[in-house]
Amino acid sequence: MGTISSAFAITTGALQADQAALSIVANNVANANTVGYTRENSNFQENSPVTIGGQSTGQGVTNTGATSVRDSVLTQRLDQQQQLAASSSSRLTALDSVQALFTPASGSTSSTAGDIGTDLTSFFTSFSTLEGNATSSSYRQNVLSTGKILAGDISSAAANLNAQSASLDQETTGVASQVNALTTSIAQLNQQIETTSPTGDAGTLEDQRQQDISQLSSLVGINQITTEKNGISITTTSGTELVAGSTTFPMTSGKVDGVTHFFVGTADVTTGLTSGGGQLGGYLTARDVDIPSAMNSLDQLAYSVSTQVNKLNNSGTDMNGATGTVAAPLNIFAQPTQVAGSAASMSVVMTDPNQIAAAALGAGTGDNSNALAMANLGKQGIVNNQNPSDYYSSFVSSLGSTVTQVQTENTAQNASVSQLQTQSNSLSSVSLDDSASSMTTLERSYEAATQVFSMIDKIIASVINLGEQTTVS
Amino acid sequence: MQNHGERQVHPALKELVVQASQALAHLDADRLEELALSCQALNRDLSLADKFEKKALQAQALEARGEMTVLAHVLEASRDNLNVLHRLREQSLGRLEYCENQVRGWVPTESGHGDN
Repeated sequence: MGTISSAFAITTGALQADQAALSIVANNVANANTVGYTRENSNFQENSPVTIGGQSTGQGVTNTGATSVRDSVLTQRLDQQQQLAASSSSRLTALDSVQALFTPASGSTSSTAGDIGTDLTSFFTSFSTLEGNATSSSYRQNVLSTGKILAGDISSAAANLNAQSASLDQETTGVASQVNALTTSIAQLNQQIETTSPTGDAGTLEDQRQQDISQLSSLVGINQITTEKNGISITTTSGTELVAGSTTFPMTSGKVDGVTHFFVGTADVTTGLTSGGGQLGGYLTARDVDIPSAMNSLDQLAYSVSTQVNKLNNSGTDMNGATGTVAAPLNIFAQPTQVAGSAASMSVVMTDPNQIAAAALGAGTGDNSNALAMANLGKQGIVNNQNPSDYYSSFVSSLGSTVTQVQTENTAQNASVSQLQTQSNSLSSVSLDDSASSMTTLERSYEAATQVFSMIDKIIASVINLGEQTTVS
Repeated sequence: MQNHGERQVHPALKELVVQASQALAHLDADRLEELALSCQALNRDLSLADKFEKKALQAQALEARGEMTVLAHVLEASRDNLNVLHRLREQSLGRLEYCENQVRGWVPTESGHGDN
């Protein structure tokens, strides 16, 4: 050794290694715009030195291939944040539609669900007007007309909520089929990776698998576990297995009490998926939590108004001198039998305005005391201890708060995803940026934003306390 | 030209907070540092503000409270992201140290190169 030929061999080896490294760089540049491609670094390995007579002679280097620059911790954090952002985003879309339903339409001539607040006021005011002239047929007709508008708007709101729930139900089924397609693909890639690169980096196969996992985590809340032979197992956030090596456990759907539920094997995983995140989690939260909550408020309002108004009308005397009985009740609204479903079935059943019992029991038909009592229902705590208008206002305001809260979460989660994508890109894509400088930018941004926050917080606290002087006794 | 006694008009507090959240999401450190300076100026001007200006700022402050909640959430998420990245850096530094030790162990063998 130590001859000219061995020197040439070392040089040739080095040139070959450089050539291989250049190919890897060229591949990186060629894939600069390929979605999901991860930058590769070339690996050089020192050839074992030869020792003869106590003298060591180096043998140069060999290129042993490429390793993709990826970081599973960062990727998992990104996937996790994407799950949250996708969940709040789909929930927000559904909530926006619900909120739009209860927002008064500007410029519309026909009454809609958004006018329920005004409808309630008009309905109870119509009794106050009737009280002024209890025998007036036009005032009596007005009570029925305003009642019909109120009942129509409440029942149409309920029908719309049911339609939105049905539409979300359909969306969830679509998402579940996408989940199955992705888990199948991940299982196939697991098998290929286990065969081709059980111990090392599998390059583009791993890129493809990572892309599938990212897509999957925006659809459904998942956990990923690295297994032997470079495989990845996927479970839902509640622990149900979806992929184990090359095996998939597909999600199936079926109707339970009229709504779609999801199963893996025979286990119903719907509840776990609802709280798990991803698009599916968001849709299920809107379908199973938000819409039922809005429907329950509406049912409560319809039930209380119908029941209380009917009760009073049955306790008075109408224009014909009649009083309601069990056999022949004088009901203005269809009498609900239970709270659930009251909004959807709310309607005015009285057709003859003379059946409005404006007079008190036993009083003459010109008496107005029962009309006054019915007008006063609008000011009494007949719906969960609140008057009907206040109850409805609280419901709309609580819906608004939920929308604002989800909006806030969604903005923050999207911001977090955006930050992590920047970090991940600087690490694994073909970028001239160094991950260290990218991290410094995050640190600088965080510090400056903290300063902005604390200063504005101080300004807000100081100006809000600038109001009227308070007397200290 | 600015009239005597006329102070510089600051963007509404709400807009300022919205911009801070957006800049933090996009890691626009330069813009955030500008906004921090703007807040310092606003804070300084507050002590010189008359009754009407303070009243106007009070209304803006009430309006900006929702956006402050958003900024607080974005800050919280950013802090969590920073924690993850700090842990990653520590990990990679650990790997670097391991590599240096390998190199140190490797050098003496190489010292014999060409010495025949």
